[in-house]
Amino acid sequence: MNDLNPTGPIPPQLPTPTYPIRAPLGESPEEREPIPNLFAATEAVLRQPRRVMYHLRQPGSGRIVIAMLFVAMLCAAGYGVVVGTFSSGAQLWIAPVKIVGGLLLATLICLPSLYIFACLSGSQARLMEIVGLVTGLLLLTTLLLIGFAPVAWLFSQSTDSLAWMGTLHLVFWGIATVFGLRFLENGFAHTKARSNAGLMTWVVIFVLVVLQMTTALRPIVGTAETFLPQEKKFFLSHWGDSLKSSLD
Amino acid sequence: MSASAFNPNTPTAFLRAEPTRLRQWVTQRPANLVGCCLAAVVLGAGTYGAVMGCWRDPWQALYTGIKLPLVILLTTLGNGLLNGMLAPLLGFNATFRQSLTIVLLTFATASIILGALSPVALFVVWNTPSLSGATQLSSPEYGFMQLTLAGLIASAGVAGNVHVLPLLTQWTRSVGVARKVLLAWLAGNLFLGSQICWILRPFIWDPAGPTRFIGREYFRGSFYETVFEAVRRLFFAWG
Amino acid sequence: MNSSSATPGRLDLRTLLQGQADKLRLWTQPGHSRSIVFNVAVIFLGAGLYGAAMGWWREPLQGFYVALKFPLIILLTALGNALLNAMLAPLLGLNLSFRQSLLAILMSFTITAAILGAFSPLAAFVIWNAPAMTPDVKSTLTYGFIKLLHVAVIAFAGIAGTVRLYQLLAELGGSKAVARRVLLAWLAGNLFLGSQLTWIARPFIGAPHLPVVFLRDTALQGNFYENVFATLKQLLGVN
Repeated sequence: MNDLNPTGPIPPQLPTPTYPIRAPLGESPEEREPIPNLFAATEAVLRQPRRVMYHLRQPGSGRIVIAMLFVAMLCAAGYGVVVGTFSSGAQLWIAPVKIVGGLLLATLICLPSLYIFACLSGSQARLMEIVGLVTGLLLLTTLLLIGFAPVAWLFSQSTDSLAWMGTLHLVFWGIATVFGLRFLENGFAHTKARSNAGLMTWVVIFVLVVLQMTTALRPIVGTAETFLPQEKKFFLSHWGDSLKSSLD
Repeated sequence: MSASAFNPNTPTAFLRAEPTRLRQWVTQRPANLVGCCLAAVVLGAGTYGAVMGCWRDPWQALYTGIKLPLVILLTTLGNGLLNGMLAPLLGFNATFRQSLTIVLLTFATASIILGALSPVALFVVWNTPSLSGATQLSSPEYGFMQLTLAGLIASAGVAGNVHVLPLLTQWTRSVGVARKVLLAWLAGNLFLGSQICWILRPFIWDPAGPTRFIGREYFRGSFYETVFEAVRRLFFAWG
Repeated sequence: MNSSSATPGRLDLRTLLQGQADKLRLWTQPGHSRSIVFNVAVIFLGAGLYGAAMGWWREPLQGFYVALKFPLIILLTALGNALLNAMLAPLLGLNLSFRQSLLAILMSFTITAAILGAFSPLAAFVIWNAPAMTPDVKSTLTYGFIKLLHVAVIAFAGIAGTVRLYQLLAELGGSKAVARRVLLAWLAGNLFLGSQLTWIARPFIGAPHLPVVFLRDTALQGNFYENVFATLKQLLGVN
C-alpha cells in the first residue's frame, strides 16, 4: 500500500460521472411513458422532469402544455387565496385573480423574446416546445408556492405588517422561481442550443417583468379603493415607499 | 438538402442557421436573403418603434414605427460603400454586395430581437407615468424609460453583431480578422446611425412642439449628448 | 441483499436512536402505517414530559399546557412543511414520496423527542431545586441558568435528530451531497416555520406577573422575526 512506485497493472479508470441531464431525452423507457392526465403531469414535473421534456418534443404536446398550464393556474389561484387572507374581504378573490392574470400576462409578454433568443442560440426547439418549457417553469413555481402556502398563511394570520408579508411572499416566489428556472434551463440544454447566454438574458427580463407586474397590479397583499392602481410606479420605488411607510 | 430547407423563408431561419448555411445564403441566394432581411427590419424595428412612440400618442407611434426601420436602412445603405471597402482592407475578401448583405443580416437579426422585445418595451411604457403637463425632460421616470428603451436597442444590436461573428470567422478562417472587420463595421454604423437618429428625432417625445415626423432642431447636438444627459440626470442629479 | 424486500421488524426506540439507517429506510416504505403512530406517540411522550418539566416552575397548570404545546409545535411543523419538503426532496435530487419524506422528518423529530424525554427527569430535578419564581425572576441567576439549560438540551436533542436524519437521507438517496442539500433545505424550512409556531405558542417558562394561559391573547399579533428585527434595531439604536 505504501509503495510509491507500483509495478502492478494500473487499475482501470473509474468512469467519469456524467450528469443524467446530458443523456439524450427518451433514452430510458421510463421517460417515454405517456403522460395521461393532469396528475401525471404534475407528478412528472417534480420527479421526472426529463419525461416532461421528452413529451414536449413529441407531436401533440399541446395537450400536456394545456394540462400543465391549467394546474399551474389552479395552484397560482390557490396561493392567491392564501395571499388574500392577509387582508381578507374582497382581497380573497382579488389576489388570486391578480396573481393568475399577472403570471399569464408576464409570460405572454416574455414568450416572444424567449423564442427569438432560443433561435438565436441555435436551438432547434419548436415554438410549442418553448411554450411547454415555460409552462413547466410556471407549474413548478406555483406548485412550490402551494408548498409554501401553509407557512405563508400562518404568517398572514399573525402579522399586521404589509412590508413583512410582501417581503415574505417575494422570498417564497424567489425560491420557487429558482427551481422553475432550473427546469427551463435543463430543458433548454436539450434543444441543441450553442450557448445559454440568450436564456440567461431572458431570465433577467422575465424576473424584472414579474416584479414590475406586482407593482402594476397592486395592491395584491393589502387593500385599495380601486382594483388597479391610479398611479404608475416602478417596483423599486414602490417597495421603497412601502418600506418607509411601514417603518414610520 | 431540400430547397425549402435551403431558403431563408422564415425570419427565424437565419437566426437558427449555422455559419455554413448562412454563407450559402449570402453567396447563392442573396436576393431571397435580402428580401427576408428587409421584411424583418420593417416588421421588427417598426413594431418596436411604434411601441416607443405610443407613450406620447398614436401619431408618434406611427412616425417612430416608420422612422426606426428607416434609420436602419439608411445606415446600411449610407455605410455600404465604406463597409464594402473596409472588409478587403482588413482581410475579409468579400464582394461589395456580400458585405452589404452581411451588414443587413446583422441589422435584421437586431430588428427581430427588437420585435420580440416589443411586448416587454410596451410593458415598460405602460408602467411609466403618462405624459402630462408636469412631465419634463428631466423627470426621472422619463429618463428611466428612455434609458431602458435605448438599452434594449443596444442589446439587440450587440446580439445581432455577435450572431454574425461565427459567419465572418468561418469565412475569413480567422477570429482576429472577423473581429476586426466587425468592429470596423460597428464603429462606422454607430457613428452614422446615431447621427441619422438625431436628424430623425423625436422618437419618443419632443416637449418643444406638437407631434411631427421630424422635429425642428435637426442638425443640432448629437445622440450621445442626450444619452449622457439622461444618465447624468438619473444617477448624479436625482432629486 | 435486496433490502426493499426484507422484513423491517418492529420499529423500536433503540433502532431509531442507534440510527440504523438500513432498517429505518425499510420503515419509510409503504405498508408500515404503524410506524407513524409509534413516532407520534414518542413525540407526545418525550417532548410532552420535557415540556411539563419546563412549565412546572411557574405552576403545575403551566407544566400541563407546555406538555401539550411542545409536541404540538413539533407535529405542526412537520405537517405544515410536509408538502414543501416532499417537493423539495425530488427537486434537489432525492426521489422520495410524500409519505417517505414526512416519515423521515417524523423519525428525526422522534429521536429529538426521545432525547428530550430522557432529559426531562434532569430538567425536573433542576426545577425542583430552583427557588420559587419571584416578580424579579427574569433578572436572577437561576432564571438565566434554567433558560440556558433548556436551550442546551433542546439544541443537543435537535442536533442528534438532524444527524440521524442526515444518515437516513444518505441511505435513501445513496449520495452524501444530495442528502446534505435536502437536509439543509428541510432544516431551513422547519426552522422558519417552527420558530413562528413557537412564538405563537408562548409562554413556555412563564412569568409570575402574567396569568397561566394556554395561548396569550396576543398570540397572533406580530411574528418572531419582526420581534428579532425590533430587538436588533433597539440594540443598534436605530429609530
